[in-house]
Amino acid sequence: MTNPLSLWNFYFRNKRKVLPVIGILALAILGVVVTDSLLASARETAYATFGSYQKLILVAPRATRDQDLANPLQDSLTRLHDVQLQVDTLDGPGGITSYYNAVVALPAQVRAQLPAVQRLQVDSANARYYGARLRGDLVPLGDLIVRVQRLQSEQQAFNQLVTQLTQNPNDPRPLITYLQQHQTFLQSVLPDSAQLGRLQLAVTSASADANGLQQSLQAMNRDTANLNSAGQNVANLPLPPSPSATIDQFRSALDRLTASLGSIEQPQPGLDKLLADSAHIPGTALVKRDAYSNLDINLLAGNAQFDLYGIDQPGMTQLLTLYGDRVVTGRLPRQNASEIAVSEEIARARHVGVGSKLGNNVDELDRLPDAFTVVGIIGGPTRLGVIPLDYMTEHYLFERRYQGLIVIPQAGHAQAVHDELQRLVGNQAFRLFDWPYIKAKIDSLIANLDSINRFLILLVTLVLSLVVGLLNNLFFRQRMNEFGLLAAVGYSRWGLIRRVALESFGVTLAAWLLGVGIAVAVLSWFNTVFMVPHGLLMNVFDWNVLALHTLPIPLMVFLFGMGTVGWQLLRLDPISIIERRD
Amino acid sequence: MLSAKDLALDYRTGGSVAHAVDTVSLNVGRGSFVGLVGPSGSGKSSLMYLLSGLKRPSRGAVSFEDRDYASLSGAGLMRLRRRRFGFVFQQHFLVNYLSAFENVMVGAVERDHDTAAYAQALLHRVGLGDKLLKRPYQLSIGERQRVAVARALVHRPAVVFADEPTASLDQATGHEVVNLLADYRRSGGGSLLVVTHDPAMLSDADRVLQMRDGRLMAA
Repeated sequence: MTNPLSLWNFYFRNKRKVLPVIGILALAILGVVVTDSLLASARETAYATFGSYQKLILVAPRATRDQDLANPLQDSLTRLHDVQLQVDTLDGPGGITSYYNAVVALPAQVRAQLPAVQRLQVDSANARYYGARLRGDLVPLGDLIVRVQRLQSEQQAFNQLVTQLTQNPNDPRPLITYLQQHQTFLQSVLPDSAQLGRLQLAVTSASADANGLQQSLQAMNRDTANLNSAGQNVANLPLPPSPSATIDQFRSALDRLTASLGSIEQPQPGLDKLLADSAHIPGTALVKRDAYSNLDINLLAGNAQFDLYGIDQPGMTQLLTLYGDRVVTGRLPRQNASEIAVSEEIARARHVGVGSKLGNNVDELDRLPDAFTVVGIIGGPTRLGVIPLDYMTEHYLFERRYQGLIVIPQAGHAQAVHDELQRLVGNQAFRLFDWPYIKAKIDSLIANLDSINRFLILLVTLVLSLVVGLLNNLFFRQRMNEFGLLAAVGYSRWGLIRRVALESFGVTLAAWLLGVGIAVAVLSWFNTVFMVPHGLLMNVFDWNVLALHTLPIPLMVFLFGMGTVGWQLLRLDPISIIERRD
Repeated sequence: MLSAKDLALDYRTGGSVAHAVDTVSLNVGRGSFVGLVGPSGSGKSSLMYLLSGLKRPSRGAVSFEDRDYASLSGAGLMRLRRRRFGFVFQQHFLVNYLSAFENVMVGAVERDHDTAAYAQALLHRVGLGDKLLKRPYQLSIGERQRVAVARALVHRPAVVFADEPTASLDQATGHEVVNLLADYRRSGGGSLLVVTHDPAMLSDADRVLQMRDGRLMAA
């Protein structure tokens, strides 16, 4: 014979009152588990995304792109004007054209007797040719430099506009002013913004022509010297005065321009020395030049830039071996090809496969320029992305400036290598990124979300304790007759409190189990249909989340409910209930 | 068996003292049926609370089977009520989510098959043999009170205290309920102390005591 006051009878016969309470609690627990799991997922995914830093140190230039290019651009423009003036002078009266004309005008007999004069004719013709070409190069080069400068200033104006609008979104005046002032410029420049990439071509062409002109002019000087040493008095010939002074001035202007243009073209200054020095740091396993770039990916807690390593082909293989990764589909990028290989999680996150494109042309948030073809999918414990070093440095003016190193320390030497690298780098052009730094950044980002989450859990717990506590009280008042009778006929007070405690405990335990069970089911489903396809990590059975973070809710609800009901039971006067005439 | 000597219960309200029970002495013999009548506020319910151990007296002594209540702890008094006494109140106080049979079993001390059979027999005897599984809200008021009577008797108490058990019933039903209690007494179950304001309900009583202003008067 079972006890009629058994817990089973209580729960089963009071379904309509018990189930809503269980439902509310279970939903709250579900909410806590889901938000907590997503937060944990954001952290784990961030760790995994930047997991490659656990075995390497990235040495990256400190300067930003704008700062990096502003001075060389302005300097080159000034030098360019100097050269343009000198080319005009060189080609003007007394310059190479008139000299060439004079050489050509020499009698055929003289030219036939003096081979040096023939060479002088050829060389001055070459100089005239390169001068004309250089003049042609300088026009678009100047134009491009001016456009780059104007785009930079436009970007600053635009940033200022964004700041103003953010501070006061209701005031459209800054936007109208900006549009009025910049309308013409935007119309003229923005469609040509793609020409930025052509700056490198113009620089290369101008450098080559300037070199050709310089060599021709040097040859002309040698020719004149040869004539003199051959005993021929050039002054006796019907030639105009040699343009050597003008040539000298041109040469120095040209040298200054070449140096200035070269500073745009050159990789990060000091990188070669750093590469050599790093290789000699004790405990260093591998050092590779790295023209790094980034892909934009979603980490749940916000977008992040996934690091791509721009290294040579042997380096790619070494990197994969280091992390225990392998190519599961396709192959690694070929030398000097616009190709990329990425880990499968990143491929999933970006919805790409072999043959797809990745890069700035596909997603404007990518720093990877243009559109690189995905040729390989990498599988393994660490997320990686690799692109060819030579393609990055030979095809992109900007990326050429964005070169650094990856330094891979031997096991147990990470800190020593880091310290020594830091000493080599000093506080100048480079800075170091290693796992402790990256992890601290991730933790700091997540910590803010974590604080919000903890506050929400606290709020939910308090509100639920209050709501369920009040419901408990209401329910208890409805059962006052029951407790009054039981106390009157001899049921002990503590026995009644124990019974109510067990009832509450059962309800909260059932709610907790139900909430956690539903949460595991929901998270498993969500993990399958969303997280995994997007390359996001989620531990569905994170007991830290399932147990520790959710237990405060049933515990607080139980304690609060029991506190109030227990207090009333202790003060229960059965006679006052018996005598009630309602 | 149950005796009270110079029993008093005072209520202090502000500066004054009200004597709900004032120097009452009585004996309830084994198997006797004692009726307690009187107008409202005469102290009959208070006397019953003192005799049943639901309240401690201000003065005087109560003893059951020669054990003074003063020598019993609160838990001891509870055990006494639970095991030796049965209670019927003006309201049935049935547990709403339990069946008639389960409500009777709430009063049981032992929950074995014999007790369950006895509970069923009691319900048959009170005319509810076909309504064992009905919930209180499915029964009439009289039926509910009969279930309450069965609950009071299921553990075969030595004394049954009935406080206005017929107050919320019509006369015929009231008689039925009192007869059920009287039957229990007649069958040798135990003593019966019935508090009522209706003397007609006490036709079978051995003694009817009149109370007024907290004192027992000659009936």
